[in-house]
Amino acid sequence: MSAPSHTDHHSARPTTGQSAANAALDPEQLEVAPGTARQTVEGWIPELATDADIRSALEEAFEYRGDVTITRKDGAKIEGYIFDRSTGNSLATSFVRLLPKDSNNRLKISYAEIAALAFTGRDTAAGKSYEAWVKKYWAKKSTGEGEASIQPDALE
Amino acid sequence: MPVPISQGWTVATYLLKQKLAGRKRYPFVLMLEPLFRCNLACAGCGKIQYPAHILKKELTPEECFKAVEECGTPMVSIPGGEPLMHSQIDKIVEGLVARKKYIYLCTNALLLKEKLHLFKPSKYLTFSVHVDGQRDHHDFSVCREGGYDQAVEGIRAAKKAGFRVTTNTTLFDGADPNSVRAHFDEMMELGVEGMMLSPGYSYDKAPDQKHFLGRARTRRLFRSILSNRKKSWKFNQSSLFLEFLMGKQHYKCTPWGMPTYNVFGWQKPCYLLQDGYADSFQELLDSVEWQNYGTESGNPRCANCMVHSGYEASAVDHTFSGLGGLWATIKSMLAGSYEDADALQMLNEPVKPVHAFNPLVQISSTNSAMEETRA
Repeated sequence: MSAPSHTDHHSARPTTGQSAANAALDPEQLEVAPGTARQTVEGWIPELATDADIRSALEEAFEYRGDVTITRKDGAKIEGYIFDRSTGNSLATSFVRLLPKDSNNRLKISYAEIAALAFTGRDTAAGKSYEAWVKKYWAKKSTGEGEASIQPDALE
Repeated sequence: MPVPISQGWTVATYLLKQKLAGRKRYPFVLMLEPLFRCNLACAGCGKIQYPAHILKKELTPEECFKAVEECGTPMVSIPGGEPLMHSQIDKIVEGLVARKKYIYLCTNALLLKEKLHLFKPSKYLTFSVHVDGQRDHHDFSVCREGGYDQAVEGIRAAKKAGFRVTTNTTLFDGADPNSVRAHFDEMMELGVEGMMLSPGYSYDKAPDQKHFLGRARTRRLFRSILSNRKKSWKFNQSSLFLEFLMGKQHYKCTPWGMPTYNVFGWQKPCYLLQDGYADSFQELLDSVEWQNYGTESGNPRCANCMVHSGYEASAVDHTFSGLGGLWATIKSMLAGSYEDADALQMLNEPVKPVHAFNPLVQISSTNSAMEETRA
């Protein structure tokens, strides 16, 4: 699968520029929430050339709705879900916390130990938009098939 | 009765103790999420977007009890995920009832009838059933045809078995105020103890990112729904919070008011935002930079929020903040129907969602509800 390049990718979180733009909005006058712009990062392997690259990629991994695979500098690979991160002044004092796919032991990994990162898991929200649901609903109605629904993913 | 007298007394004394102790930040309701797994996949929900190995995880009853003791609130809300899918939900509820906690088990009720035998009716246990409106509106909101009928069947079964049942309704852009008012009538006819309602929060992990109400629209919608209200409608929410939704009160967020515990730990900073996790409740209180959250902070992720998890605690705190708050509460409780001719006129205006929404909204007639309201 071809992964999106870094330039294709947009952060799920508002960027600094977006934050400034949103802050300029008066929340009391908002008709609808702006929503989060999110492009797929599934399959993405970010380049971790600089400290800024590492911080940015791990922030994205924290926001991701699926599993990632971290390769440590000792070569060990860990696949799991990042549920927490804390950022310090240096990579050595910045950490992610992760629940591995195959274990209940929470791992705390320093940014400085990370050699590579890949967004290997599926984006668990993909294909479940409201528009997808409405389309499915009308398709069912037009064919006279039974009741329409968006089903949760199977766990196996 | 929306809330048992003993619950009102317990909560009031708890809040007074917090005030007398001078606690600047105290929790009001613990949001206990024993699992993330759900049997619905609502497009507007941002609570269930996890890989399978996370969805399979459950808090043990012991972990739940520890969190409840640590937090110390008299009320515990059990959302999820769908808590009735938890393999030991009966043990969790039994243990919390034994600890005299007032529990709101938040369920979509798809499994309620089937699982009812696991529970005993108690003043400590209320099933808070998620119903987002009348049949078609609810089914569209939860992306499941037939969901409404199953929920109503569950409500009927629970009421028949002697359980306390309330409803919770989340509204999005495109909600038809006339239909919501008709929904209130239907729920009260079913015999529920009370109703809760809230605008949807714009979860950044939710599949849908287009239909979350902004604050201006929220206030107009809730003003049109909650003004000229019927005596038969019972709400189990702070009357000041309902005034806040109608634009009659202004509050700052209390993000620590309804802290959340789940399989990852104590969620920072609140029930809605995920900015990491703390390992203890005290660590949560101590480590979050609270000034960075709430609409007034300028945080864009808080911009549209008027949700009960942040603002009902503010309204309740207002009630207990002195004579002014007490007087405001008394006035709101005596306000009756909130007669408002302009709000009545708003019910005659067509629903105009910013983005395309539930196509059924455009089909339904608004005039009948207007006439019915005036009757």
